[in-house]
Amino acid sequence: MNQQRPLILLLLLAYIFTPTLYAWVISPSGVWYKPYIIWLLVIVAAFVVQRRKKTP
Amino acid sequence: MTFSFLQVALICLTYLAVVFTLAYCTDMGWVSERLVAHPVTYIFSLGIFASAWSFYGVIDLARQYGYGALAYYLGTGALFLFGAFALKPLVELARRFQINSMADLLVFRYHSHAVGGIVTLVMIMAMAPLLSLQMQAVADTIHLLTRDHHKTTGVTWQGFDVRDLLALIYTLVIALFAMMFGSNREHQRGLVTAMAFESLVKLFGLLAVGIYIVYHVFGGMNGLDNWLSTHQEALQALRMPVQQNSSHALLLVFIATAVSMPHIFHMTVVVNPRKHISDTVSWAFPLFLLLMALPIFPILWGGKALELSIASEYFPLAIPMATGSSVFTVIAFVGGLSAATGAMIAIALALSTMILNHWILPATSLRSQNDIYRQIVWLRRILITAVLLGGYLFYLSLHNKFGLTELAIPAFVATLQLLPGVIGVAHWSRGNRKGFIAGLTIGGCLWFFILMLPMLLGIQSITLPYVDRPISVGATQWANVTMWGLGLNTLVFIVISLVTKQTDDERYSAEICSEDELSHPIRLALDVRSPDEIIARLSSRIGVSTAKTEVASALERLALPPNESRPYALRRLRDEIEANLSSLMGISMASEILDRLVPFKVPETHGATDINLIESRLGQVRNQLTGLAAELNNLRLYHRRTLEELPLATFSIGQDMEILMWNTAMAKLTKIPTDTVSGSHLKDVASPWGRILHLFAISTEPHLYKQAIEINDKRRWISLHKAAIPSSKAQQFDGQVILIEDVTELQLLEQELVHSERLASVGRLAAGVAHEIGNPVTGIACLAQNLRYETENPDIIETADQILSQTDRVSRIVATLVSFSHAGRQSAQDFQAVSLRACAQEAINLLSLQKEKPPVRFVNQLPTDLTVFADAQRLIQVFVNLLSNSRDASPTYGDIIVAGERHGAYVEFSVTDYGSGIAPEYIDRVFEPFFTTKEPGQGTGLGLAMVYSIVEDHQGTLDIVSPAHLDTQNGTRFIINLPANLATQAAKSNTSLPQ
Repeated sequence: MNQQRPLILLLLLAYIFTPTLYAWVISPSGVWYKPYIIWLLVIVAAFVVQRRKKTP
Repeated sequence: MTFSFLQVALICLTYLAVVFTLAYCTDMGWVSERLVAHPVTYIFSLGIFASAWSFYGVIDLARQYGYGALAYYLGTGALFLFGAFALKPLVELARRFQINSMADLLVFRYHSHAVGGIVTLVMIMAMAPLLSLQMQAVADTIHLLTRDHHKTTGVTWQGFDVRDLLALIYTLVIALFAMMFGSNREHQRGLVTAMAFESLVKLFGLLAVGIYIVYHVFGGMNGLDNWLSTHQEALQALRMPVQQNSSHALLLVFIATAVSMPHIFHMTVVVNPRKHISDTVSWAFPLFLLLMALPIFPILWGGKALELSIASEYFPLAIPMATGSSVFTVIAFVGGLSAATGAMIAIALALSTMILNHWILPATSLRSQNDIYRQIVWLRRILITAVLLGGYLFYLSLHNKFGLTELAIPAFVATLQLLPGVIGVAHWSRGNRKGFIAGLTIGGCLWFFILMLPMLLGIQSITLPYVDRPISVGATQWANVTMWGLGLNTLVFIVISLVTKQTDDERYSAEICSEDELSHPIRLALDVRSPDEIIARLSSRIGVSTAKTEVASALERLALPPNESRPYALRRLRDEIEANLSSLMGISMASEILDRLVPFKVPETHGATDINLIESRLGQVRNQLTGLAAELNNLRLYHRRTLEELPLATFSIGQDMEILMWNTAMAKLTKIPTDTVSGSHLKDVASPWGRILHLFAISTEPHLYKQAIEINDKRRWISLHKAAIPSSKAQQFDGQVILIEDVTELQLLEQELVHSERLASVGRLAAGVAHEIGNPVTGIACLAQNLRYETENPDIIETADQILSQTDRVSRIVATLVSFSHAGRQSAQDFQAVSLRACAQEAINLLSLQKEKPPVRFVNQLPTDLTVFADAQRLIQVFVNLLSNSRDASPTYGDIIVAGERHGAYVEFSVTDYGSGIAPEYIDRVFEPFFTTKEPGQGTGLGLAMVYSIVEDHQGTLDIVSPAHLDTQNGTRFIINLPANLATQAAKSNTSLPQ
């Protein structure tokens, strides 16, 4: 019985924010590397989660 | 700016030499262990995911699909990001069962050789375009670099030019590398380091080219922004295709690649890192992919800005060439070369393993007399070469008709067909082999006939009978084929799995694979009793030396002794050998060999749960349990500890008499540690326990009282009680719990009580007899006396004297009996402090008067100040009896030593002789009244009984040591402990006040 609750919450967040993010990414204004910024943020989040998991 | 063939060949060979050297040095242990085992090394080695296509082809993908191209990286990145959910079950399975390819995993789950064969076929068909893609990339880039020299060489034979020759040489060198470092289980470290190095090179190459383009072509980030603002169509091209439906097909394809691609599976799952690394991978590998994806769009725009006429996939190489930078040209070329090399090696290894395990080994039998390892290594080497040469021939047959993207996408779509089956491994235990094979066949056929075959034959559309409209086929239809193929595949898999039944074997495997793996591991029985028996059986198939090596390594890994005989341990040993063999020759061969030679017997009764296995697994995953499972586990631990620490010896057994629990008290009582006995058959427990416990377990009696048992030559008494453990099924039992009571102390006390009671009854009898016999004997003596005076006849006088002598003897016996029977009646009030030495000396003096006895030497070593509280007369009697007994047993002029000293509140003294000693069988009986070993008339058998009685009256103890002298094995020592102050006396003197 592994702990999958954070994953479900994350999927919920992804579901809620996907249209907004999608619209932001393909909007003509702004820089071309917007998808990379989102990607980087996800990696930072994963890094923080992994660090916190390791600490206890 | 171009290079000569020689220069390019030199660059290629130098690069390969560096990779060879690195792999070789790692294998030889010359590279620092910290570097080899570092998480970064493993993460970079995963980078073989990014093949030549991700170096070149992805630029073309970016041109076609804009941001959609990022799906290639995002899909795989997402899979690693959620690795704990998506990959962990597979990694755990692969680690536990030594699964070393995708086909092995599916064979293990669906328990079928056919699955392995079909999956291998699909993989070969899928990998052929990917392998030729790598070769084409290498050949094309060589072609680009040497553009101006083509006319000068002119070596062509039916279209086979120097470019193809270089590609062939390159393929052969790679085959050599893969044979050296990939064909053997021991050389994986060198391979991993080499792969990591290659990933580092290509990452560096791509980033360097990207930065070069941004700063050299556009003049920095601002320049790029300015260019983009003037070329809005480039930005539009980024966004527009995302809205088309092919992008989500792309995302789907690339999510699946990390799991389904054989070479990525090989690195992710087979070359598996330690646990803490796999956590790091979850964010570090997506970061690696991010860095790989970063330069894609600048490179594409750089090519457009320079208005290059070359295919956009080769922009990474063409831009530095066009701008005349030889350094960056070489960097780009080597980067692409390394990307192709890594992928080719990994694909060749993964495919050769699959072909060997699922096609060759099941069809042929290895010669067991020879070294099986050697045979397998050579077979694998041949296959590696065959796979690479096959890929090369396929590449030649394509005649450079297709772009890199056109080759890559069919490969990805084909491996995608395995996704439903892979998901079924860990997440859907109902899925069965029929469903999997049917789904894969449908999806595979759709892929082959609609996408691959028309693409190779150059067919754009086909007309089916009874269908008016022609159907578009070929490479352009990849998105439709992806969706329809995968959709139908999944649907057929689900429907057939639901309407058909799983076999028992398949269900067992499915349960092992499912996440809820702790469901109910069944305790299967083995008919082997020792590791040697396993070796003997395996020898017939894999040869004696291989069998010995495999069994020894499995024993070492499980930390089991070579003479292990516990069924539980042998079951684990069997599973470990199967896992080791499966890493050598594939899971289907390994399980076939083990199933045939060392089969499990299906348990006679259902529900024989393997408690020991559940225990050990729960112990491993304890920290991962949460919520209800964690609480249940805590409850389990509490109950287990309660049983373990119960101060009564307890153990439990299954229906098959296998020991499931052996608590601490049991280990203490039997001196058999829990670890060595747990999982054994009850009969096999060390003597004398095994026999008695087994007899009791199979008997119908629920209790067995006071069973004598010899432990270390000492007799102990135990009582056994048992109860059946009810099963969850009605009217059935899972086993028994047996409790052992050590009743030795109680038994000894009882025996002592019986002895005392007997002595007391003998005393009462003696008193009665003495009284009844005394009077008539006195009468007889008087009459005999009278008879002497009333006759002159010497014969009658002689007779009268005889009668008097005999009555005198009877009187003495009667007097002794009376004295014995009076023992115990004396009050402690008569006791006073007496000198032990004086008492002993008086007894010695008395005995010395008996001149008719053989002479001995009495040695009184008692200290003069040693006093006890006792009745002096009775103490003298004790000494007289002990000393006379010793004298009777001693040789002439033998020593009899009386010694003693004070021990706290007690005074211990002993009488030791050098006589013949007392036979062991008599020691328990010498204190019984009338027991004597002397000749009739020599002793009454009351002497020692009286000593015992007197010592007891004085609240003392009496022990016998015989033989007293261990060196000469003779002599007897009587040891008496008497209180220096009687408790009652002391209490009295302390508490009584003067009247």
